[in-house]
Amino acid sequence: MEKRGHTSRSYERALQDIRENLLYLGGLTEKAIQNAMKSLLNRNSELAREVIEADAAINRLDAEIEGKCIDAIALRQPVARDLRFLTTAIKINAHLERIGDMAVNIAEKAIPLNEEPQLKPYIDLPRMSDTAQDMIRKSLDALVGENCELADEVIKEDEIVDNLNDQIFRELLTFMLEDPRTIHRAILIMQISKNLERISDHATSIAILVIYLVTGKNVRHQNRKEKSQKTC
Amino acid sequence: MKSNLFYKIFATYIIIILLSMVVIGFQTTRQIKVKLLEQIENDLTTYAGMIDLACTKGEIKNKIDQLAKVADARITVIDATGTVLIDSEATVAKMDNHLDRTEIQEARVKGKGTSKRYSQTLQVDTLYVALPIREGLEIKGYIRLARPLIEIRNSIRQFNWIIFQSILLLGALSFVIAFIFSARLVSPIQEMEQFTQKLRDGEISGTLLIDSSDEVGRLARNINFMVTELREKVQSVNEEKGKLEAAFASMTDAVLVLDNQGRIEALNKSFKSIFGVRRRDILGKTPLEAFRNVELQNALDRFKQTHAPLSEELSLDDESRFILDVNISSIQGLPEDEGKTMIVFHDVTRLKKLEKMRVDFVANVTHEIKTPLTAILGFIETLQEGALVEEDTARKFLQTIHKHAERLNRLVDDLLELSDIELGETRLFFESVSISGVLDSVLSMIEPKASNKALTIEKDIPEDLSPINADRDKLNQILLNILDNAVKFTPESESVSIAAFDDSEGYVVVEIRDTGIGIPKDEIPRLGERFYRVDKTRSRELGGTGLGLSIVKHLMITHNGKIEIKSQLGVGTTVSLYFPVYKGEDAG
Repeated sequence: MEKRGHTSRSYERALQDIRENLLYLGGLTEKAIQNAMKSLLNRNSELAREVIEADAAINRLDAEIEGKCIDAIALRQPVARDLRFLTTAIKINAHLERIGDMAVNIAEKAIPLNEEPQLKPYIDLPRMSDTAQDMIRKSLDALVGENCELADEVIKEDEIVDNLNDQIFRELLTFMLEDPRTIHRAILIMQISKNLERISDHATSIAILVIYLVTGKNVRHQNRKEKSQKTC
Repeated sequence: MKSNLFYKIFATYIIIILLSMVVIGFQTTRQIKVKLLEQIENDLTTYAGMIDLACTKGEIKNKIDQLAKVADARITVIDATGTVLIDSEATVAKMDNHLDRTEIQEARVKGKGTSKRYSQTLQVDTLYVALPIREGLEIKGYIRLARPLIEIRNSIRQFNWIIFQSILLLGALSFVIAFIFSARLVSPIQEMEQFTQKLRDGEISGTLLIDSSDEVGRLARNINFMVTELREKVQSVNEEKGKLEAAFASMTDAVLVLDNQGRIEALNKSFKSIFGVRRRDILGKTPLEAFRNVELQNALDRFKQTHAPLSEELSLDDESRFILDVNISSIQGLPEDEGKTMIVFHDVTRLKKLEKMRVDFVANVTHEIKTPLTAILGFIETLQEGALVEEDTARKFLQTIHKHAERLNRLVDDLLELSDIELGETRLFFESVSISGVLDSVLSMIEPKASNKALTIEKDIPEDLSPINADRDKLNQILLNILDNAVKFTPESESVSIAAFDDSEGYVVVEIRDTGIGIPKDEIPRLGERFYRVDKTRSRELGGTGLGLSIVKHLMITHNGKIEIKSQLGVGTTVSLYFPVYKGEDAG
């Protein structure tokens, strides 16, 4: 972020502290998704349980960050850029916590899936999760580097995940129609797919917030045409 | 070239010189004026006195014009009351009473009176000198001489002009001299200034060539000395720096240095390649900003609390591609290094992998041994508990025990063999061997198993196949192993084919093809691992120990050959064995 300082060093440190915590939360979230997907793809239920347990730390940190942001707003009366930073930090914080919850959902579904034989080789799910994880990584990198272009990329990738979600749905539908014994597993997989789609939506929201932070522009509700244009 | 010093000195000179000249000129003029005035005053006094002594009133009156001419002055005589009696220039009758005139008053009191007045009529200062005419002690009248100071004025004017010209001339001359002198004074100082400016800009070279023996010269010599010292010091520092940088850069471990605010200050090449980052992307950032690695941050936080050196294992993201041994410690040494942190990453991925393989192996072996042992014990206990009395059952049990014991035996044999091969302790005897002969003997061993499953074995071995360089017994083992697998995993009534040919690179290739259940593609690389089974259930049932392919793999290595496995699920598997052709007497 900017190298200019504030006149008050403790203010500077408070902001930096919030930043670091946010990034740490980002790291925890990235890890949670990674492990959740691993627990599914490698059929490792032990890992899934670890993911579920680790969510407590994410929730704690989420509450902490929010508290710090509100303190900063109350005590420092920030304006302009700092105010944008603090308000977007609160929102990004919430998105990251929700992503963490999605990871827990995936892990929870992985456990019963691992107990039955694999319905089919997972091809699309890994693609979805790779894209979703990439989106999260990029949006956090965009936050760190205040990089609008990265944020733009994230917004565009959302469509890929949405399409994959639809694809998986259709494919699983054919499985279920053919053989009722696959219904339980298919539904679990569809739920996981939906969770991944939600994750990518959250990542997109984070990217949009980053754009707002950097440019002051709110690109939240754009139509298709506006989406294809660059914001930076 | 801007030179404040030069102008200062030069201006000072000029000002001093000009000022002095002006002051001197001024003073001289004044003095001359005073002296001239004095002179005229004396003149007039003398004349007045002479006239008073020499002439009577009547004589004065008569010769007034001549007297005035000689004295070159206006002569006025007034009586004691002030009435003008005689005047050489004006009409007496028209003149007023002169008693109040300054010079008259003064003459009355002091015996001589002088006065200078600006005369309206003549437009010039006029000097009046009056003397009293006495008879005895009584003043009878006054005689006054007056001369306009034209002469003075003209003289002064002339004099002023001369002085002005001199000033101009001398001024020009001193201008030049001052210029030269100032320049010579300032020039060495300018040289030093330029020289030190060059030093400031980083160019530590050259010397000052100022040779005077005064303070300036000594200053220059001191500067030269200091420059030499500085140059040497900078050089040695650069050398040290170069050494350290070389050491830092060539370390195979990745190193990260954080400054006292926890921001990345330095990193080496290994770091860049392991973490895949560019220096400019992460310099100045905190590690959390640079790569959001949670484990690293946790380790750093713990370190921040204790400041004790800590060592930890962590994996990077990206599917744990790397496992790193991390060492965090404080940097000590120079005071400016206070509070800095050094993080060293040591790549232990391979170590970890090997460790895992070992652990897996031990687990596998234990399992493999435990299973038959449990069965054996079970049956023995059952016999002991009474099954012994039923002969048929007892016989069957004994058969099973025997089978299991044999299996254990085979396992131990295989393990020993594999270990021997790996340690290089098997003695192999290399000679020229013809494949078809060995193949025939192997086929006769396989024959029973094959006919049990109604499998056909097709053979395609050319007559002129080159002999290979091999150990006959081991070759037997290799072929037996592969053929055994082929027969094992091929479904009934299908076929196994064996072909051999010379390839163009000095090898004899033996291809064994089956139409069995095949092997999944991503499991093929792992086939050589000990106890590796694609599908655990099917292999053990068919009596394998799980070590066959490991042994084959190692034997092929010992023979300087190689083994290639291609397979497709549900279609079949082809195993290609490459044996080096026998070349004369070089055995082994």
